[in-house]
Amino acid sequence: MKNRLRVLRAERAWSQQDLAERLEVSRQSVNAIETGRYDPSLPLAFKIADLFGLAIEQIFQNPAKDDQ
Amino acid sequence: MATPAGRRYMRRFFPTMIAYVVVLFACVWAIKTWQPTGLALVVLSVLPALPVVAVIAVMGLYLLEETDEFLRQRIASCMLFGTGVLLVATTVYAFLVNGGAVPASAELPMWAFPLWCASWGLAQCVLGLRDRAAGGSE
Repeated sequence: MKNRLRVLRAERAWSQQDLAERLEVSRQSVNAIETGRYDPSLPLAFKIADLFGLAIEQIFQNPAKDDQ
Repeated sequence: MATPAGRRYMRRFFPTMIAYVVVLFACVWAIKTWQPTGLALVVLSVLPALPVVAVIAVMGLYLLEETDEFLRQRIASCMLFGTGVLLVATTVYAFLVNGGAVPASAELPMWAFPLWCASWGLAQCVLGLRDRAAGGSE
């Protein structure tokens, strides 16, 4: 799933490790989510959204809308 | 393995494997030296299996205790690959024996767990290399 995680992270000058620590996940998880190789679960998606103070839809692109 | 569950796994895994080697050597020596029979032989023969059972439990605990969802999914996928390899190997072997193409072996079942572990490890390596090739690491 396409997302803006890398952009949002860069705006705050956070490394992947920094973001991983804030989300309490591994750096591999952050990398996999950023590169679209892994879609986070709903709890993790909400955690990410809460961390950035945004709605989930402002971070993750709805795949259904990709097809439209 | 940087996660707490990963560190716990390593802390449990290595002492268990050391115990397996020690128990194995001790039991092999005891059987060769004392040449026991009956129950004593059964006990000494099966004793090395206990640390191996413990290793299997340690691996299961790792899967259950890993809180990182991505890593947990990866571990499960790779374990599933190992299970698939083992099932295919044993099925093919069984048909070969049944058809008379190869003789049945009493030692071969001992290689089931190492085969599963090696397959799991191989899958983890392949996925790790794929992660690096995908890039994006900062």
